[in-house]
Amino acid sequence: MNLSDEQLKTLANSAPATPDAQRRRDNIEAALAAFDATPAAAEDTTQGLSRWQRLKSVFQQKRRMDMQEQKDFRGWLTPALATLLLVPVVGYVSWQSQRYDGSPRDVVTLAKPGETIGVRGTEYEAVDTSDAIALDDVVIAASPVAPAPVAELQAARAQAMEGRQRAEVARFESRAVAKMASGIAAADASFANENVVLWQPIGAEADRDRIQSTDSNPVKRVAEQPVSTFSIDVDTANYAFLRRQLNAGNLPAPDSVRIEELINYFPYAWPRPASAEQPFQATVNIMPAPWHNGRKLMHIAIQGYDIAPTTRPKANLVFLIDTSGSMNQTDKLPLLKNAFRLLLDTLQADDTVAIVTYAGNAGTALEPTRVADKRRILDVIDGLGAGGSTAGAAGIDQAYTLAERSFVEGGVNRVLLATDGDFNVGQTSDEDLKRIIENKRARGIYLSVFGFGQGNYNDQLMQVLAQNGNGTAAYIDTLSEAQKTLVQEAGSTLFPIANDVKIQVEFNPATVAEYRLIGYETRALAREDFNNDRVDAGDIGSGHSVTAIYELTPVGSGAVSVDELRYARAEPAAVPASDNEFNNEYAFVKIRYKRPGESTSNLITQPVTGGNELASLDAASTDQRFSIAVSAFGQKLRDEDAVHDYDWSAIQRLASGARGDDAFGYRAEFLRLATLAATLQSQNR
Amino acid sequence: MASYHAMMATMLDTSVEQTADEDRALALRAANGERAAFALLLERHYERVFRIALRWSGHRADAEDITQTVCIKLGAAIRSFRGEAKFTTWLYQLVLNASRDHLRTVRNTQQRDAAYAEHTELMQDDGGHGDDVSRALWAAVRQLPDKTRDAVLLVYGEDMSHAAAAAVLGCKEATLSWHIHDAKKRLAALLAPHGEVI
Repeated sequence: MNLSDEQLKTLANSAPATPDAQRRRDNIEAALAAFDATPAAAEDTTQGLSRWQRLKSVFQQKRRMDMQEQKDFRGWLTPALATLLLVPVVGYVSWQSQRYDGSPRDVVTLAKPGETIGVRGTEYEAVDTSDAIALDDVVIAASPVAPAPVAELQAARAQAMEGRQRAEVARFESRAVAKMASGIAAADASFANENVVLWQPIGAEADRDRIQSTDSNPVKRVAEQPVSTFSIDVDTANYAFLRRQLNAGNLPAPDSVRIEELINYFPYAWPRPASAEQPFQATVNIMPAPWHNGRKLMHIAIQGYDIAPTTRPKANLVFLIDTSGSMNQTDKLPLLKNAFRLLLDTLQADDTVAIVTYAGNAGTALEPTRVADKRRILDVIDGLGAGGSTAGAAGIDQAYTLAERSFVEGGVNRVLLATDGDFNVGQTSDEDLKRIIENKRARGIYLSVFGFGQGNYNDQLMQVLAQNGNGTAAYIDTLSEAQKTLVQEAGSTLFPIANDVKIQVEFNPATVAEYRLIGYETRALAREDFNNDRVDAGDIGSGHSVTAIYELTPVGSGAVSVDELRYARAEPAAVPASDNEFNNEYAFVKIRYKRPGESTSNLITQPVTGGNELASLDAASTDQRFSIAVSAFGQKLRDEDAVHDYDWSAIQRLASGARGDDAFGYRAEFLRLATLAATLQSQNR
Repeated sequence: MASYHAMMATMLDTSVEQTADEDRALALRAANGERAAFALLLERHYERVFRIALRWSGHRADAEDITQTVCIKLGAAIRSFRGEAKFTTWLYQLVLNASRDHLRTVRNTQQRDAAYAEHTELMQDDGGHGDDVSRALWAAVRQLPDKTRDAVLLVYGEDMSHAAAAAVLGCKEATLSWHIHDAKKRLAALLAPHGEVI
């Protein structure tokens, strides 16, 4: 049952009390005092500089100051028109220092951009905001205050930094604001030379699940942007997370749905490559779009070679397990233990396993141990208990150290991070962590991330970590999901067969008027990145399959959504369409990949011609139809215009007609979720 | 009431636009340092700021404090107004952030007896002089997660369109609509008598 619109409209009935007249006068006066104390925006000297240049100038100023500081006690009172802002998980904290006599201002004692502090599980990062004032939910106030609060604020900040009290920060903030207010009331020319520091939290999010949200790929005109480039994505976390939300009776926020992860969640039997020489096989077909009469779909299916267990390289795995207090729930640590027991069964006697836990302090629970000694490994897993806070960065360091110690040349070296996502990286920012992971990846140690639980799941950080560590991010909510990720797909999760796989499609303007890539928003690459081997992209593991779907509007179909340009049209086509030797081609698909351990890429190309076209959707394979149904499901949840008139029952019909043998029941589960989503969305109307 | 809003909206359509233009012009003049323009802008919007703060917090004293914070922040922030967004969009963002910060500070100092505080909050609610129904509804709205609460406050309290509210909250319109849907569901649960399954 939902409340009706009419009921909610009664909210407007409550005429609020009128504000206190005396306070009104005082407040307006205070506002005017603050107004007078602020220099006009037009004097902003930073205008016209890029953010980077500005950051650089702050650093330069800092360096100058360090020297000055030795001579001058008041060095920290020195200049800079920079505002530093701390961006935490749950809000922002900013502080600012300013003087009004034109003398140098302090940056040193505050924070450098990129510097972070952790306060009781919350990460704050200092960023430069000198140009971000107008529209961010950030408003910075600055006005003269008595000198005393400065020292006090510094002390409180230092305290809050080492201390772990969020409340401490809050008290500090409120004090800052109070001091400021009183400072303004007393505003006086004699204070004009004093320093102001303001530190405030802004813009809190109540929902602590941090899901990366993205805008959908737009429809593009082939005449203007004929080339589309993206990195493959083998993550599946989004599907499991979405399933959990739907099962709880909640529709996911439209922006948070990642369609490619939904499609790639399901196992498909795409045509396989014949040998390991050719790591994967791409199959491309054109077929009518079920949700639009004039449009077509270009379905790209990539199937990785499945390495037979006997030829698998030796594995050196380090489990990095979050055992902080927040993991002590049945769907977290206990589930994780069972999941790793399952994984252990898929390994071979010569593989090694080590376990690092982190909770408060990071600790090595198990030195690298051969899987042959399974009993010892199981004992350690069984003995894991949850308690304490999270110290993720130290844990990661230790895990990498162990992985390096037992490094297997030519083998699989991988850290498997299991966490509920409340991943406090201490003094390290997400950026730094990313760099560490990239660094280790270059040395051959990869990272996979397994997310557990709900409530403070940090999807975005997990994505970033896995993407930069050449790994997968999977979300595990049930034991059967653990079975799927760690046992059935262990090969693909652990043994890469092709690295940095990128896809570039060039559309033929003679046949295709418009195109739209469905999903892969977070994986878009620049056109020139395709040939740049230094640009990282997704990996394909043994037996992995990856599917991407484009929606095309053929020339002359009448289904074009973007108008022709009035002026560009005058340009004559280089070759008249009728004589064009490519007029039977829709597109040209190029795939780049690197063999594991190699640094130069190989190229596979394939023209997509009328020969790849299927007359009707019914002519498509079961797997193709099912993956299209999943893409429609995802678009529907993202509330995309393209599928607005395509209703849920059509999606269900398409999917249920394409169930195939569905040995593990994944597709049956999908049908159930589609029903659930349809019901939830109809309540929404 | 709903039809009243619709009617007024139609009647005032031109003058609403006119007001927005005036606000923008005033804000830009204030940004250039014109004190009188800023004073006038404040006079025009003071009640609005107080109203949102009161609806957000449910307490007179808190609303007065929030309003003060907003006024002081506004004095400095107006200097950087460049007219990229509507003035009111910008103002709403400022007030919502200030409200949220204020409440978080209050909650932290009361952490020890959080349960007690929540109880008294409901008891002493003076979020407006409306009828009992809307009063109970506002009390429930204040228990929603921040984003959801902001969405309801803007759409139903301030009679904004989903698009305009989305602009304030910096999200897509579809996301805003989703928050509203979410709110309807949560509110129904919050308002249901204890033990009743709906």
